[in-house]
Amino acid sequence: MSTPVVFDPMTLPSDDNVNAYTFCVELKGSQWFLQKGKMIAYYGQIDFNGIGHGRFERLIRTSFHSPLHASDWVVAEGSGKMLLADRAFDVNSFDLEDGNLTIRAGNLLAYQPTLALKQSIVPGFLTLIGTGKFVAASNGPVVFMEPPLRVDPQALVGWADCPSPCHHYDHGYMKGVMGGLRSLTGIGGTSGEEHQFEFVGAGTVLLQSTELLMPEQATGAVPHEPGVPGGGPGGGGQHGSTPRMPGQLGDLQRRFGL
Amino acid sequence: MFRLQGSKTLAVDLTGDAVKAKNGSMVAYDGQMAFKKMSGGGEGLRGMVTRRLTGEQMVMMEVKGQGTCYFADRASEINLVSLHSDTLYVEASNLLATDGGLRTGTSFTGLRGGASGNGLFTTTVEGTGQAAIMSDGSAVVLRVTPQYPLNVDPGAYIAHQGRLQQHFQSGVNFRTIMGEGSGESFQIRFEGDGLVYVQPSERNTVGGDV
Repeated sequence: MSTPVVFDPMTLPSDDNVNAYTFCVELKGSQWFLQKGKMIAYYGQIDFNGIGHGRFERLIRTSFHSPLHASDWVVAEGSGKMLLADRAFDVNSFDLEDGNLTIRAGNLLAYQPTLALKQSIVPGFLTLIGTGKFVAASNGPVVFMEPPLRVDPQALVGWADCPSPCHHYDHGYMKGVMGGLRSLTGIGGTSGEEHQFEFVGAGTVLLQSTELLMPEQATGAVPHEPGVPGGGPGGGGQHGSTPRMPGQLGDLQRRFGL
Repeated sequence: MFRLQGSKTLAVDLTGDAVKAKNGSMVAYDGQMAFKKMSGGGEGLRGMVTRRLTGEQMVMMEVKGQGTCYFADRASEINLVSLHSDTLYVEASNLLATDGGLRTGTSFTGLRGGASGNGLFTTTVEGTGQAAIMSDGSAVVLRVTPQYPLNVDPGAYIAHQGRLQQHFQSGVNFRTIMGEGSGESFQIRFEGDGLVYVQPSERNTVGGDV
């Protein structure tokens, strides 16, 4: 192929991949939720508005449930075709039918408002519930696996239909004096695979085909409450939170994008 | 004659003619080749001074000979562009090679350049022949017609050709100041007739987070 394909609004696919790295969304007066800065180009009349926009109150009530995450998302609204891409990673769309899927926050690019976005209890992950389409990025194509399964933490993209995610350590390898030495120093050859995520139960696990992580995306803080994992300073019964300096706004800073 | 060997290597068949390529981008060749660094990209003294003044640095070499020469740069995806007495506007960092007969120069881009983090000037390639441009991930080529203007994120823009007017659009309002910006506040709007090349990745731009 020596001449590249030229696309115009007619030939661009509707809600499908343009190439492995670019996804085209068609808007016909409809709305999509979009992670900030993932739009690369668009035809037609499309408005991008921050989540705090008053007009979207109803929409957000039904499909957006992570208040402190709001500054990372925008609503695209209008009619036309828009192209989404993320740092030249592979992008793919997935359909959920009355289901649920949990995904690493940095990997989710966009979703239809028929889906509801919620923060997962597992820190750093987001859960989508309902019926609709969403677009996710991964480093290399996504592989679907059935539990029971143990996966490398860096290769995990997400999981669907609720298998139980937990940590797994190769205990035998870490045991004893030699094991201790190995785990501390790496001498004696740790394979780097002593720690895995384990999934059991019915469902699907999504993996990417490299161990290169997408840069972490802040998922926003969860309420400070006992029993909430990762509930910030003081959360989860932990003590000794760093004292806040005068003039430091803490979470408010993030909220207002300072 | 330009052709792609895979998507990340450019193969150029030469029969005694010359091509201009980014300095140091040759990865292999067969036959007889001579490589010569072109001071100031072969644009003469005036071009050299302009490039120095505008900061649109471009170090090119001239490759001349018989055989096939292969070019690549940091595993970037390569896109071929055909020009028929046409002008291609491309960022100097995205230009890999051009036919020897094409003229290169610099032009002022206005505000767009300031926002795309590439400086206020861009490189032009003029004439009839072929050029190879690089992108982070395979580029998407979008046609712009008078009925269908196109808006592009400054960070994803790499090149355009044809008769296009570009306007810089800013959607900064009080919400942006409040930290509720849309992340898409700065856009370049292309109107007219031509092609725009975008890459599936965004450079860090001044307006990127706004």
